[in-house]
Amino acid sequence: MIADAASGVALALRGEGDPYALSRVLRQSDALAPAAVRVLGADALAPYAADHHTPAAGDEDRGVVQAALAAFPPGADASAVSVWSYRGLVEASHAFLPGGPDRWPQPPDAASGWVEADPWPRLAHRASQLAALALPGLSPALADALTTRTDDLARGFVRAVRRRDWLQAAGLGRWLARLPGVPPTLGLDAGLAFIGHMGGGDARVALHLVAARCFYGRGE
Amino acid sequence: MSGPPSAAADTALLDSVATGALSWLGAYRDRFRLPADVTTDADPNLTLKPLGELAELARLIQELHPRADVREAAAELFAFAWEQFGRGALHAELMRNEPQAVYPVELYGVFARAGLRHPAADALLTTVTGLRRWRVAGGDHTRTLSVLNAERRIGVPLHADPGAVFALTGLGLRAEPWLLDLRAAYGLTHDVFHLTDWGRARHRMAAPFAAYLRLWLPCWLEGELERELWDLVGELLAVAACLPRPWYPADVWRRLAAAQRPDGGVPERSDPADGPYRDDPFLTCYHSTLVTAFAATLARVGTDTTPDDSTGPARATAPGRESEAAP
Repeated sequence: MIADAASGVALALRGEGDPYALSRVLRQSDALAPAAVRVLGADALAPYAADHHTPAAGDEDRGVVQAALAAFPPGADASAVSVWSYRGLVEASHAFLPGGPDRWPQPPDAASGWVEADPWPRLAHRASQLAALALPGLSPALADALTTRTDDLARGFVRAVRRRDWLQAAGLGRWLARLPGVPPTLGLDAGLAFIGHMGGGDARVALHLVAARCFYGRGE
Repeated sequence: MSGPPSAAADTALLDSVATGALSWLGAYRDRFRLPADVTTDADPNLTLKPLGELAELARLIQELHPRADVREAAAELFAFAWEQFGRGALHAELMRNEPQAVYPVELYGVFARAGLRHPAADALLTTVTGLRRWRVAGGDHTRTLSVLNAERRIGVPLHADPGAVFALTGLGLRAEPWLLDLRAAYGLTHDVFHLTDWGRARHRMAAPFAAYLRLWLPCWLEGELERELWDLVGELLAVAACLPRPWYPADVWRRLAAAQRPDGGVPERSDPADGPYRDDPFLTCYHSTLVTAFAATLARVGTDTTPDDSTGPARATAPGRESEAAP
């Protein structure tokens, strides 16, 4: 189901298929829809951020997201990644769904000390899990913090590709597409194309790659 | 592995690693002895190649290591290798047998650099390296760099422009760092060794290439540590020490030191069952043990010339940014 939803989002970001509606990709009546939205995070709403998307999100989309936010709030002991991904979904709801700020929860405070403190392999792993936040305008403070570790994220990209961990590699590549100052010798565009050839069959990998291209013009 | 800070080198650890490795090499010295059929039936990968590596790296350690006892142990190994080559007579015989081959010249260059010559080999060299045939590439660009380095050592004209050849190597092209497989990794380390004459001439490495290596070495090392490929870990550590501003990754050195066995040998990989020579401690260890002694020597020399630039993980990304200014 998550793969299908990710494929639906990727299709919409490519500008293909019917105009995107989250409520058609994930029906509110489906018991698993809230969990799928929670896993996709902000990416569930990514097509609404794309330039070529004309139809605005509707009330049914709002219902699907509200159900997810209500069902899976991060607990007191939630990991930083879990809080950030929830926060990303809240931020995207504010940005892309109808209804004023009062209709959505306030974005929760999310710890960011790890961005500075993590050794680069762990930093890269966490950042890749938060690749859905690499959307225009989302979480600018996190993006700014990651900008100070661009070289380390690039090292994580190299490590992930060499390990053939395409999901981590694609997520990091998507962040690097958003961030300034990526080392030219990384070969990011060729790297993203390479990941597409090797691991693009995975819908979540494909989604990161198409987001990097759609929003930041990087990749094949 | 933590971030890529460059700590002050741990000279006690480096010396312990180097003396352990040299002790192992001394104990196994007779295994480097050439068999009677070395020029006919013997497999050169099991005879000339190990002895040539012993000569190359022992000589470097003899020249550069700050400790007299280490230099002395290395000097004995180098002298042993020269004797095994019949003080150059074997080089001459190999050139007569295979006048088109580059390896006898490369092997001779190791000794010529140290001032050890043989009249017959010198006479043959003039002819062999003067042939048009000599200018036909015998291998990839990395190997051509090796031949050029041998020519420089021996003092015969260079058969190609080293700059143009270097530009076509993995390092010269600053190839995509994520596509570094085993073969490319060994190519890259040897691009560095030939360019810098095995760490003696670190200044020959221009800034863009040093920045490229400093940026990507941490993630390459991390990968080889995960696979516990100790010979490649050692080669990459040697590369780190060949940088104009050497980098000392303390945690990687501790891991390599921990992989060294009590007798001083360093296995190519932790699980010898993975390797082709699992029943033979010499064949599973000689290369990585030599490389470890070599890397420990270069790292030790680097500490004598480099101030402590201990930094935190976030700060340590700074050298990578140099590459953005690179052409």
